[in-house]
Amino acid sequence: METEVIEKIVSIEKPHLEAPPDWQPVIMGILCNWCSYAGSDLTGTSRIQYPPNIRIIRIPCSSRVDPWFIIKSLQTTADGVLVSGCHPGDCHYISGNYYARRRFLVTKKLLNFVGYHEDRVQFSWVSAAEGQKFANVVAKVTEDIKKLGPLRLYKKENS
Amino acid sequence: MDYTKQIKEIAGKLFSEEKIDVFIGYRNSGFDENQVPVLIHHYQDVDQLVFTEKSVFNLTNYLKYEHTRNKRVGLVVKGCDSRALNLMLTENQVKRENLYIVGIACEGVVDEAGQKAQNCLECVMPDSVVFDEMLGTPSGKREYQVNADIRELDGKELTERLTYFEEVFENCIRCNACRHSCPLCYCDKCCIDQETSTLYHGANTTSSAFHALMTWSLHLAGRCVDCRNCEKACPSHLPLHLLHKQNEKVVYENFQEHQAGMIEGDRGAFYKYSMSDPDDFIM
Amino acid sequence: MARVGVFVCFCGANIGDFVDVPAVVEEAKKIKEVKYAIDYKYVCSDPGQQMIRDAIVQQRLTSVVVAACSPRMHEKTFRKALSDAGMNPYLLEVANIREHSSWVHQKNKKAATGKSSDLIRMAVAKSIANEQLHEISVPVTKRALVIGGGIAGIQAALDIADARIPVVLVEKSPSIGGKMAQLDETFPTLDCSQCILTPKMVDVASHPFIELLPYSEVIELDGYVGNYKAKIKRKASYVNFDTCTGCGACWLKCPVKVPNEFNMGIDKRKAIYSPFPQAVPNKPVIDAEHCTMLIKGKCGICAKVCEKGSIDYTMQDEIVEREIGAVVVATGYDLWDPKPYEEYGVGRFKDIINSLEFERMVSANGPTGGVPVRPSDGKVPKNVVFIQCVGSRDEAKGIEYCSKICCMYTAKHTLLLHHKVQDSHAYVFYMDIRAAGKGYEEFVKRAQVETGATYLRGRASKIYKKGDKLMVQGEDAQIGQVVEVEADLVVLATAIYPYKDNPDLARLLGISYDKYGFLSEAHPKLRPVETAKAGIFLAGCTQAPKDIPDSVAQASATAAKVCGLFAGDTMKKDPMIAHVNNEFCTGCQNCVNVCPYQAIVTEEIPLGYGFKELRTVAKINEGVCQGCGSCVAICRSMAIDLAGFTDMQIINEIVAI
Repeated sequence: METEVIEKIVSIEKPHLEAPPDWQPVIMGILCNWCSYAGSDLTGTSRIQYPPNIRIIRIPCSSRVDPWFIIKSLQTTADGVLVSGCHPGDCHYISGNYYARRRFLVTKKLLNFVGYHEDRVQFSWVSAAEGQKFANVVAKVTEDIKKLGPLRLYKKENS
Repeated sequence: MDYTKQIKEIAGKLFSEEKIDVFIGYRNSGFDENQVPVLIHHYQDVDQLVFTEKSVFNLTNYLKYEHTRNKRVGLVVKGCDSRALNLMLTENQVKRENLYIVGIACEGVVDEAGQKAQNCLECVMPDSVVFDEMLGTPSGKREYQVNADIRELDGKELTERLTYFEEVFENCIRCNACRHSCPLCYCDKCCIDQETSTLYHGANTTSSAFHALMTWSLHLAGRCVDCRNCEKACPSHLPLHLLHKQNEKVVYENFQEHQAGMIEGDRGAFYKYSMSDPDDFIM
Repeated sequence: MARVGVFVCFCGANIGDFVDVPAVVEEAKKIKEVKYAIDYKYVCSDPGQQMIRDAIVQQRLTSVVVAACSPRMHEKTFRKALSDAGMNPYLLEVANIREHSSWVHQKNKKAATGKSSDLIRMAVAKSIANEQLHEISVPVTKRALVIGGGIAGIQAALDIADARIPVVLVEKSPSIGGKMAQLDETFPTLDCSQCILTPKMVDVASHPFIELLPYSEVIELDGYVGNYKAKIKRKASYVNFDTCTGCGACWLKCPVKVPNEFNMGIDKRKAIYSPFPQAVPNKPVIDAEHCTMLIKGKCGICAKVCEKGSIDYTMQDEIVEREIGAVVVATGYDLWDPKPYEEYGVGRFKDIINSLEFERMVSANGPTGGVPVRPSDGKVPKNVVFIQCVGSRDEAKGIEYCSKICCMYTAKHTLLLHHKVQDSHAYVFYMDIRAAGKGYEEFVKRAQVETGATYLRGRASKIYKKGDKLMVQGEDAQIGQVVEVEADLVVLATAIYPYKDNPDLARLLGISYDKYGFLSEAHPKLRPVETAKAGIFLAGCTQAPKDIPDSVAQASATAAKVCGLFAGDTMKKDPMIAHVNNEFCTGCQNCVNVCPYQAIVTEEIPLGYGFKELRTVAKINEGVCQGCGSCVAICRSMAIDLAGFTDMQIINEIVAI
């Protein structure tokens, strides 16, 4: 398994690369269990359609998101990252998302500073009732990242 | 700025009164014009001590190693060093009662070219914020200004910045001198190791190392005091301050003008929050 | 080497129609660690679960991935299937290919199939790093603390004690009873308040499972659910309750007179007093602020007349400690101070009183013998104006919320006035009549018909004095005219306001409160009696304005919660909580700062093997940790990890695609 991953690791972003014609972005969606994950479930039960590029990871709270996860996603597998949690004040764990919000801002600005487009990493507050909002957010993020193109070299057989 | 005489006196007095076990100061390196840190254990070695504008290193770094653990320590701190010391005190790494702190009202140190160093030009707090004894005349807190290099890079296109960072950080040799020289990097397990470890699907590649350095800088966001020990230690002369100063800028502008280590008991920016933190970047 | 079993569910047509399930299975089989992959129509059905159980045994699986609906749906079902097969239930991972794939990509089968394969890859990668976890048992102290001895506190204490669980009931004043004891009759049935309350108060005093601590306050609460330790200050009463018989000789002879709080200051009590005749416990206390013996050291009459020698002027405050498992907070309410209503002349005109003062006057055991009188001259009023919503529903001067009970008690007051003063007439200024409750609307109608009270819709705008009468000006919105009413007495229905010490108490208990000071429930609809802190519950007006039936119902609900909590010898807890690896902890204590539950404390451990020196590390209290992961993400040295969502698991997921 490790060897496979190492092959995926290329240098930093290469936006000058041409995207293969059938290239589809991979978006890592890191969702908190109580609001956003429940909201994405609601999107499903309501049969609201959204682009199929997001890969969802469940975490207990947006405060569990170590900036490492975002950086690692961009460095290895993902072309973009979406982190979503409960609205401020609604955190299941009282104050988790307030701490998370500070880290998110600094992480986003730092990644932008070193050359990642700011749309590569996006954040949203989606409550358990906002199934439609989740679909809209995913659609927007997918569209943004499709415009930006791939983040890494693609081996011929992968593309 | 030359406090050599005073520091010799203070250290001598502390040793003769048996108030300290070790004194951390600077001495001339002996083979060039630069100074190096020195740990003085005996009264007779006090004469080695110097302090001029070439005393560039942050000596609080030595408080994280066993040289000084549970010993009574005297040390010299400039403004930036004292802020790091403040954070170390807050984060429980040293005990205040074990320290005798000689604070300096710093007039700025010089860089390798002999010019006043960039971090001293942009210094927000030249005076020691925690001390038992102060040398020099305090000049007070100064206004925060955005780092000149950050301003320059911000003006550039995204791809230009990208190319710059790609080229510069290719030179990283993964020696980890940066983290060993940082007084606030006292962890036994470090994100840099973790991210370049195959256990966590990393690799010893330039890309891994650069991304690890980004995480590392985030661990210092809202804590870094801009002493530039990491940069002085880096054999590849990587502009590590860019990462730290970028985070410092975001933290200062968005989180109630937070500045690391100004007040004792004030933790890093990520360990507190305000209801009014910026929310507009979140959908 | 990991041996993962993958079970892909068709979910009937729900997944099968939009995802090529056999292709997904084939794709899963290509993953190195996957030793067994199969699809089934309904994996959650009995045969489906049997399939999992059989495969675990036959294929010697080390972890299981079920690709089906959301883990929020059936994670528990599949975990049970694992443990039935003798496997640790936490070795399960669920790939959500229904809500996250088939249902949301119904028009693109190829993409949905590809995405489902990716989700399975991620789940497999995560499951490889899954660890065996075991439910945490936390011992519980089966004793409840009830703070506040009003009707809510009394009901909660009695219900808990009836379940044979010891209760400590702490009341701040010398007697339990609270606001309800001050009422005359209660709507909508006009039961005599004392008649229905005092038997309950006596039950509390005599109940073998209730320890009543009157004249006491909780000053400290440590610990966590099931294992709290409360420090309670027993204020010095200067009377030995063990020997005192409550004969009353002391307060008859006491020369010091003080305004009587129980009667809203309408009459006087003595410096040694029992708040009201039916008080429980019916033992007097000495008011240290006014007793001349305690202030100047002269007098001592009560000690002389006490045959039992129960008076002890040297008594000191005493701190007692109780180990408890759960807390019910029932601190009740205060009346809102109508001072901002300057146009009503509050404070200037004596004949404006609040409704609790009116309540005391019409009460048979009240200071005026059950007849309302004008405070200015003691005459019986003929025309009485009741003004509702004083403070309530007034964003400009008062508070935004509705106090809920004022419409009802004002109707009751008109009725009581009618009963006590036959030739009187009541005028009511109201905004809306809110009479939602069993028999409430009927009661208001009955009161209006029986008393003939004049209801004027609108806020009173001004009160001024004319001779010895008060003139109340206001708009009657129904006729659209300004009306003026001559009144002998004006009764303000002032708003219910949270008990003034609520914020201090909330900080002490570690629970949250709203901008007014009402204590916050965990969820406004589904968890209305719990607070965000496990093991602390709310009853009565401490949470929001409530009438007596609501307070009693909520109190009984807290009792059910407490009994549920104490049902076993230990509490079971989800094992997905944070753990500290001492080896790497630097003792910076940032996590202590960040934890929203104060679940992290520090401990001293040897520096290393054979060292005598100590270093500080963080320690997580298993009973308190809720598993949010805040500490994990801020721990720079990666010494803390969250079981079930470890760094390794999440990174595995990230790189698995």
